[in-house]
Amino acid sequence: MANLPLARRLSGGPLWIVPLALGILLILVPHFNLEYSIVRQLQLAMILSLLVSGLNLSLGFAGELALGQVAMYAAGAYTAGMLSQRGHTDILLQLVAAGFAALLVGLVTGIPGLRLGSWSLAMTSFFLVLLLPDVLAIFRDDTGGRNGLSGILSPTLFGKLLSPDDYFMVIAIVTVAWFAVMRNIAVSRHGTALRVLKKSPVLAASMGINVFRMKLLAYALGAVPAGLAGALFASLDLYISPEAFSFSVATTILAASVLGGSASVYGAVFGAFVLQFGLNQSTEFQKYSLVVTGAFLIIGGVLLTGGLTGLARSLWRKAVGEDPAVSASAPADAAAAEDVPAVPGKVLRVEGVAKAFGGNQALKGVDLVASPGRVTALIGPNGSGKTTLLNMICGFYRTDAGVIALDDKQLQRMGPDAVARTGVARTFQTPNIPEGITVREAVMAGRYAGHRATVLEAVLRLPRYRKVRKGDLAEADRVLDLVGIRHLENAEATALPLGQRRLLEVARCLISNPGVLLLDETASGLDEDEVERLAEVIRRVRDAGGTVVLVEHNFQLVLSLADEIVALAHGELMAKGTPEEIQNNERVMSEYLGIDPDAPEAPHVVLADVAPHTPEGAER
Amino acid sequence: MTLIWGGLSLGAIYAIVAIGYNIVFISSKTFNFAHAQLTMVGAFVAYTGLVKWHLPTVLVLVIASAVVAIIAAIEERIAIRPVGDMHNILVTTLGASILLDGAAQLTWGSQPLTVPFFAGDSAITLFGGRAYPVELFLIAIAVLLVVGLGIYSRRSLTGLALLGMAEDREAALLRGVNVRRLAFMAFVAAGALAGFVGLFVGSKTFAVSTLGAALALKGFVVLAIGGFGSMPGTLVGGTLVGLAEAYASRYLGGEYANLAVFLILITILMVRPAGLFVRTKERVV
Repeated sequence: MANLPLARRLSGGPLWIVPLALGILLILVPHFNLEYSIVRQLQLAMILSLLVSGLNLSLGFAGELALGQVAMYAAGAYTAGMLSQRGHTDILLQLVAAGFAALLVGLVTGIPGLRLGSWSLAMTSFFLVLLLPDVLAIFRDDTGGRNGLSGILSPTLFGKLLSPDDYFMVIAIVTVAWFAVMRNIAVSRHGTALRVLKKSPVLAASMGINVFRMKLLAYALGAVPAGLAGALFASLDLYISPEAFSFSVATTILAASVLGGSASVYGAVFGAFVLQFGLNQSTEFQKYSLVVTGAFLIIGGVLLTGGLTGLARSLWRKAVGEDPAVSASAPADAAAAEDVPAVPGKVLRVEGVAKAFGGNQALKGVDLVASPGRVTALIGPNGSGKTTLLNMICGFYRTDAGVIALDDKQLQRMGPDAVARTGVARTFQTPNIPEGITVREAVMAGRYAGHRATVLEAVLRLPRYRKVRKGDLAEADRVLDLVGIRHLENAEATALPLGQRRLLEVARCLISNPGVLLLDETASGLDEDEVERLAEVIRRVRDAGGTVVLVEHNFQLVLSLADEIVALAHGELMAKGTPEEIQNNERVMSEYLGIDPDAPEAPHVVLADVAPHTPEGAER
Repeated sequence: MTLIWGGLSLGAIYAIVAIGYNIVFISSKTFNFAHAQLTMVGAFVAYTGLVKWHLPTVLVLVIASAVVAIIAAIEERIAIRPVGDMHNILVTTLGASILLDGAAQLTWGSQPLTVPFFAGDSAITLFGGRAYPVELFLIAIAVLLVVGLGIYSRRSLTGLALLGMAEDREAALLRGVNVRRLAFMAFVAAGALAGFVGLFVGSKTFAVSTLGAALALKGFVVLAIGGFGSMPGTLVGGTLVGLAEAYASRYLGGEYANLAVFLILITILMVRPAGLFVRTKERVV
């Protein structure tokens, strides 16, 4: 023990102690008799870090660039200012009101802004900032217009007037409290779900996450710290004007976020303090601030993908000396899970499903039934409509005709997230794994939509959250054992080799107890051992009662696994039957396997990827 | 009618900016935040050429196109090409736009500068309204660009390659289209266009370092109305935005002009998020 490096020993303890200690230190600053200018910079830096933290929620976690923090900041500041003018000087009241005002601005602008991809939120929120002076001018009777809002009274708390030292502590406490909230969100299932969303909205939807609502949640939630910051700022100077909420503030926030690392919790504090103490010091420098900020954003965007915290994290990992992918020891035995609990499968029925893309009829009247405890394989040449069918089952495409049902529930009119919540789970041809989370977290994310706990419950760690979390952990153990990658649970998920990433995806599907499991070319690119491992997992799921649909090119694997094979060609059903029947079906042999049935001896076929009759891109 | 001419010419400016966005979007599916700033730099260069150096208009147009094309080329190399992640391109091109704002402020100050127009600035009467020559030129440029680019993309091989690339990048690559080079050329061409129109835009609005931000937003609204990638859509969007702005500031007051445009944007995003002229595409896994 003694010769372990210090960093390694430290890393064993609860790491949140460090920021908490720093936070307490910050709250106690008034007792250190610092110079006024430093105290003021500290206050502004804390306010800035609140703003940056709000942006991080939407930029770093949900992956949406938003510039509207400033508008929410202003909404908070003016709400608090106008309350104070009317004699409501209690800072708690102001904070609550400002938080709600900002949340409202976030919701109202987020709903239209999030409707159209990533640029539209950036632009609508950018627009919001430029509108501010106009809006303030229109309501100049209340806001003072361009002259600013003066006559804000000194803040009080429970009727007691706050001294500057007291007020400093109020700012520090609010800041520390918000970062505790933020940290609790980030490490909770909601934080993981946001990372899933950032990685790929398609993945998120396939896991039952409502993409729009999740993005809105991140964006609107990010408004709250901005509103708090606004209230704190209004009572700090007792004067606010439109100049304090200009576009340059928005760029400073963005720069601080990128510098600190948008995808981190405490990076916001780093970035805010560096910018507050560094950039805004000399007035001579102000002239060049736009140029520097701009250049900085370019460099930051190109080089520092994880920001300073990302850099620190990789250095830390070196110091701790753990390379997660390598350090994990091999499993004792792949067959560790001897008793697999039941996987209650459902019947998937596809009847007469048709789909055309423009003039290209991708599917015409396909039927398929997949039952519990059976593996149904879907084969066919490229462009025959396998993946299209899979995407229609998942709700990514709308059907032109036909019925898709899981037990008695019709799926063909649902969106992908609703389909997933009904019990359809899938894997992807290219494994889709979010960055910055462990294998265990990635797997647990599969339960996000099925077992709910609100953000508030996660922040306050209420009983229901704890219960769901306990279930998440226990279920993760179970499915990780089932696919045999339990020993890698703490490794970074994206660092796994392909074969294990595929198994991870299977585990992520299984944890949601899906009615049907869709595997999209899971074996492609795997070596023989890995294919065997995967086949073993699929057999276990089947034996446990799961419904498995397998889209696969590896014909040997299909023959060995499938109970029933459905062969498609040109969007139509070519053949259907047991492996035996399919193997000897003449059409399948000639069209799919490319074998002349009359030839004296058919060669041993491993995989066939022949006959690309359909036009390019039809299947992608 | 005077109001309509004013609104239409304003809309033409926004449409021209939106066309620039579209060229880049079609060729590389990226959104160049800094395109409006490129137009702004074009206006400043036109000012310097015409007022400071007393150069002939044609020469100024050539110089402005060349200068801005070079800036665009540099932007592509440092702020777009090395960026792997699509999310980050938004950050880096925003950085480029802020950088250009700052650089323009340092070089040309923050006071609005008048860019003289070669066809004079005496208003003429047309269809019962008074219009300045520059306004008519702007409207003509916007229409000609849309028509010209439409013909170009259907008749020339490069144009077809661009369309193919917009449809399916990988397929274009497989067909032997040098996707990267073509995207780069389109980016530079958009830059040259921005430089060229700078003179006209500057004559209408003054060359000022806050021009970029305003143009960027309105250009985006035009794009949202017409739909990303739709060239005819920019004309409709430009007309709508320009007229809304002109009428709002005439009848409600200056502070309502932007608000009116913002309301249009919100409405469009709520009712038809893909824009008026683009079919909604189905998601592909």
